Amino acid sequence: MKLAWILARKDLLQTVRDKLSFIFILLMPLAFTLFFGLLFGGGSDRLPVAVHDADGGVAAQQLVAALQTSDVVKVTAESQADAEKAVDDNKAAAALLIPRGYGADLTAGEKVSLTVVVTEGSSGAATAASEIRSLAGEQVAVELAARAAAEAVWAPRSMPAGAEQGVIAQSAEQARPVAAQVLAQPAAAVKVVQAGTAAGQVPTGFVLSSPGMLVNFIMFSLVTAGVALIVERRNGTLQRLMTTRVRRWELIAGKAAGMFLLTFVQQMLLLGVGQLFFGVDYLRDPVALLAMMVSLSLVASTLGLLLAAVLKSEQALVATSVIVSMSVSALSGAWFPLEITGPAFQFVGHLLPTAWILDGLRGIVVRGFDVADVLPALGVSFAWAAGLFVLAVWRFRLSD
Amino acid sequence: MTKILAIAWKDLRSTARNAPALAMMLLAPLALAALLGFAFGGGGGFDIAATKVATANMDQGRTAAGESAGAVVAGILGSPDLKGVLEVSKKSDADAARAAVDDGKDAVAVIIPADFSEVVYGSSPLAKTRVELYENPTQEIGGAIAESVVGQALLEFSGARAAAAGALALRSQGDPPAAVLAKTAAQQFTHAGGVTAGLDISQRTPQLPGDQNAKDVSVTGAILAGMMVFFMFFGAANVARTILDEDRAGTLPRLFTTPTSYGVILGGKFASVFVTVTLQAVILLVAGRLIFGIDWGRLDAVVLLTLVAAGVASGLALLVISLTRTPAQAGAIGAGVYLVLALVGGNFTGTAQTGGTFGIVQKFTPNGWLLQGWDTTMRGGGFGDIRWQLLVPLGFAVAFFFFAVLRIRRRFA
Amino acid sequence: MNIVEVQELRKQYDPPKGVLALDGVSFDIAEGEIFSLLGPNGAGKSTAISTLSCLLRPSGGDARVAGHSVVREAQAVKEVIGVVPQDIALYPDMSARENLVFWGRMYGLSGDALGKRVDEILELITLVDRQKDRVEKFSGGMKRRVNIGVALLHRPKVLYLDEPTVGIDPQSRRSILDGILALRDQGMTILYTTHYMAEAQELSDRIGIVDHGKMIATGTHEELVKVVGEGARVTARVDHYLEGMAERWREVKGVEKVDLEEDEAVLLTEDPNEVLPRLFEAAAAAGARITEINVTEPNLEMVFLHLTGRALRE
Repeated sequence: MKLAWILARKDLLQTVRDKLSFIFILLMPLAFTLFFGLLFGGGSDRLPVAVHDADGGVAAQQLVAALQTSDVVKVTAESQADAEKAVDDNKAAAALLIPRGYGADLTAGEKVSLTVVVTEGSSGAATAASEIRSLAGEQVAVELAARAAAEAVWAPRSMPAGAEQGVIAQSAEQARPVAAQVLAQPAAAVKVVQAGTAAGQVPTGFVLSSPGMLVNFIMFSLVTAGVALIVERRNGTLQRLMTTRVRRWELIAGKAAGMFLLTFVQQMLLLGVGQLFFGVDYLRDPVALLAMMVSLSLVASTLGLLLAAVLKSEQALVATSVIVSMSVSALSGAWFPLEITGPAFQFVGHLLPTAWILDGLRGIVVRGFDVADVLPALGVSFAWAAGLFVLAVWRFRLSD
Repeated sequence: MTKILAIAWKDLRSTARNAPALAMMLLAPLALAALLGFAFGGGGGFDIAATKVATANMDQGRTAAGESAGAVVAGILGSPDLKGVLEVSKKSDADAARAAVDDGKDAVAVIIPADFSEVVYGSSPLAKTRVELYENPTQEIGGAIAESVVGQALLEFSGARAAAAGALALRSQGDPPAAVLAKTAAQQFTHAGGVTAGLDISQRTPQLPGDQNAKDVSVTGAILAGMMVFFMFFGAANVARTILDEDRAGTLPRLFTTPTSYGVILGGKFASVFVTVTLQAVILLVAGRLIFGIDWGRLDAVVLLTLVAAGVASGLALLVISLTRTPAQAGAIGAGVYLVLALVGGNFTGTAQTGGTFGIVQKFTPNGWLLQGWDTTMRGGGFGDIRWQLLVPLGFAVAFFFFAVLRIRRRFA
Repeated sequence: MNIVEVQELRKQYDPPKGVLALDGVSFDIAEGEIFSLLGPNGAGKSTAISTLSCLLRPSGGDARVAGHSVVREAQAVKEVIGVVPQDIALYPDMSARENLVFWGRMYGLSGDALGKRVDEILELITLVDRQKDRVEKFSGGMKRRVNIGVALLHRPKVLYLDEPTVGIDPQSRRSILDGILALRDQGMTILYTTHYMAEAQELSDRIGIVDHGKMIATGTHEELVKVVGEGARVTARVDHYLEGMAERWREVKGVEKVDLEEDEAVLLTEDPNEVLPRLFEAAAAAGARITEINVTEPNLEMVFLHLTGRALRE
C-alpha cells in the first residue's frame, strides 16, 4: 500500500514540474468559471422581444405597454421586416406582430389574432412566447369579461332594434375598468414554491450551470491525466518498476491515486471559486458535497486509468478522451438540462454515474440535499469506479 | 512551391495513416452530432420529454352545481391536448404530491387548495386562494410549462369573475338580483369560450423578403457545424504539433540541413496544417449531407466559410505550439484553450442562444462568428449576408498567424 | 586539395556562462579522404558536425566547405554536404521508398531523375526488397542504412556521419563500414565522428582527436601512435625468480628495454611476433615457466591517455 502511495507522489511531482501544463490545467477552468459567473451570476437577462404594432390603436398600445413593464422580456419596436430579421439573426428571442384591426376586433368581441415569430430550438423563445401569451391573455380577458358583463346585463332588458351593438359596446366600456381591476388582482393565482429552497438557494442561471461546468472540466482533464502513464510506458520505466518489489496492483493503484488527487484538487478549486465568488452554496452540506467530490474523482480517475491502460499513444489517448468526455458531459446533463431531451436520451444518460453526480450537486445547492439524498449517486459512482478499475487492472499493459 | 506541397502531402499522408487522429477529426464530430441530434429528437424540431406533474385536488368543491373548480383545473391539466406535454398523476393529498417532487419522481406538484371553488365561485371580491406549484428547481422548463398551463386555466376563472363584477357594476334598478346577474355574466363569459376562444396566437418561423426565405435549420445541422469547427481546432493541432514532434525526433533539424530554405520548410508545415484541416471540413460537410441530409446552403458562401474556418483553426493551432515547448504541453494547453473557446463561442449549444450577454460574449471568439455564418447559410443566406461573419474570423486568423510566425521563426532561425 | 577547412571554430551555448562546446578547433580534410573525429562523449564532436552542417552558428571562427563559408554561405554549403545524424531522423510511418522520395525532393530532385536516384540508393543500401515497408518496422541496422541512404540522394561532395554505428549489431556495423570505404573509393570525402577507436583506426585516412572542445592532435594513425613511442609493450609473469629472468630477457635479440614492475616484467620491442618465441625459449633454458604474457600494440587509446591523462572510454 505504501508503495502505491510513493508512486502516486512521484506522479504528482512530475505533473507539477511541467509548470506550463500544470498552470493551464488549473487556470483554464478557473478562468472560465470566473468569466461565466461574472456574466451570468447576477440573475437572468430579460429576453429581447421585437414588437411590430400594425394597428396602433389603444388596445395594441396597451399590450405593448404591458410587455414593457414585464421583467421577463425587454421590448423594442420595429418594422415587421426588421422584427423578422431580428429573430432570424438571433438578436431577439421572439417577435410579436400585432395585426391591423386588433383593437377593433377586441372591442367588438371578435376573436383576435396575434403572431409570434420564433426560431426553433430556442429556450428563450419558449419563455418569451409564454409571457406574451400571458399578457395578451389578460388583455383579452378584460375585454371579454366586460363584454360578457354587458351582454348579461342587457339580455333581460329591452333595447331599440339595431342599437344592440352600440349599447352593449357602451356598457362594456363602462364595465371594463371594473373587469380590469378584478383581473389585476385575481382571486385565484399561482403560487410557485421551489422545492428545497426553504433551505436552499434561488436557482439563477449560474447556480444551475456551475455543477455542469465542473463535471465538464473534470472529465476533460482525463486528457492530461493519462498522458504521463503512456509516456512512462513508452520510455520503459513502467516495465522497470515491475522488476522491483512493486506488485502489479500496487502500481496501478498508485497511478489511480495520483489521478484521483489531481482531479480532487481541481474540484476544490472550482468549487471554491463558485462558493466564494458567486455564492453558489456548495458548502450547505459539506458531507454530501464531499461524497459527490469523491464520487466524481473516483469515476474520472478510474476512467482515465482505463483509457491510459488500454491505448497506445498520446494521440490515441487525447482523441479518445475528448470524445468520451464530451459524450459523457452531454449525456449527463452538463451542457443542457436533461429535461429538454427526449425520454430515451434521459434514460441512457442516467446509466452514467456523472448524471447522478450532477443531480446530486444541483440537489445540494438548490434543494437542500443531505448525505442520505446523495447516497444513490455515491453508490452508482462506486459501482462504476470499481468496474472501471477492475477492467483497467485486467487490461493494463506494461510495455508497448 | 513544389517543396511546400511535398511537405504538406507528406503530413497529409501521415494523418491518413493515423487512426486516432482520423477518429478525432472525422468520427468524433459525426458521432457527437448524431448523439446530440438524438438527444433533441432528430432532424426536425426539438422534442422535449413530457413534464411529469403530480396533482392533488383538495378542492371541497360545490358539487351540487356541477364539477368543482378544482376538478376543472385538474381536467385541463390532464386533457388529451396536453398529452405530449404533461404527464399527470393524481395524488391523494398535498403532502403526497410534494413528496413526489422531493423524491424526484415528478417535476411539479399542482396543489389545489380546499377553498378553491369557494373563492372562485364565491361572490366575495376580496377572497383569495392560491394554487400552489411546488417545483423541482432544477427542472426550469417543466416548471415554466406547468405555470403557463395552470395560469391560463386560472385566467379563465378570473375572467368569469371579472365578468360577474362588471355586471354588478352595470346593474341598475329593475335588473335581476345581483347573484343571478353575476352568475349569468360569468356563464356568458365561459360559454363564449373564454380567452381560449377569444385569443389566437399562431407561432411561426421568420419569413424574410426575397430568396432568404427562412428554411428550418435542422438541429443536427446546427450541432454538426459547431462540432465541426471545434474538432477542426483539434485536427489542426494534431498537424501543428508535428513541428514539435519532428524537432524532437530530429527530422526537422535534418530538413534544415538540406538546401531547402527555412521559409519553405516552415511554410510547408503551415500549408500542411491548412490543407489537412480544409480537407477535414470538406469531408464532414459531405458526410453531413449524405448521412444526415443537412443542406449547408449556397456553395459560394459555404466554400468561403470553410476556408476561413480552416484559416482560424490553423492559425490558432500554430499559435499554441509556438508558445509551448513540448508536444505534451501543446496537447494539454491546446485542449484547454479549444474547450473554453468552444464553450464561450456556443459550439456546444448550437444556435439556440439568443441575444443578451451571451450574444455579446460570443463575438469575442472567432468560432462564434463562424457559427453565426453557418446558421445564416443554412437558412439560405448568401455571401452578402455573411460578410462580417467572414471578415472578423479572418482577422482573427491573420493575427494568430502573424504572432505564430514571429515566435516560430525566432525559435528556429 | 583541401575540401574542408576549419579555422578556430568556437561554439558556446548560452553565453556568457554557458558550456563552451568548441574551443578554437582547427583542421582540414583533403578531398577524397576519410577524416575521423575521435573523442569521448561530450568532447564536442556533434557540435562540430552541427556547425559544419550550418545548423548552429559558430560563436567564433569559420569553416569552408568546397570553398563556401558556413557562416555566410550556408545555402551553398548545404548543396554540397550530406548529413547523417546520430539519431535516426526518418519518418517512421512512411516506407523506406517514401522517405527517400520525400528527402530527395527536399534536396531539390524531382521527376524521373528522383525516381532513378531512389532506385540507385535502395540498391546501394540493399533494401530493394523492403522498400515498401514502413521504417518503424525495420531493425536498427536497416534504419541506419536508410538514414545513410537519405544523405546520399543528391550526390554530395562531403558526407558527415555522426556516430553511425552506435548500438547496432556487428553485421550491420560491418556492412556500414564497408559501405563507407566503398564510398571513399568512389571519391567521396567523409567526415566521421566516433568514440570507437577501432573504427577510427580501420576507416580513417586521418584522425583528429578531440577532448573538451579542443583538438588535441591530428594526423594519420601511424603519426599519432608515434606520440606514445614506437614498439609494442609486452608484460610477462614467471613462476619464480623474476629478476633473473628479466636479466636474461635483456639479452634477447629484439628486446629494447625491460622494466620490472612489482611482479611482472615490462618489455618494449619493435616486433613482438619475432621476440615472443625467444622469450619462451629463454625462460625454458632458465628452468622458469611463463605464467602470463600480454602483448599490447600501440593504439589510439594509449595516445589519448597519454595526451589527456584520461581513458578514451570513460
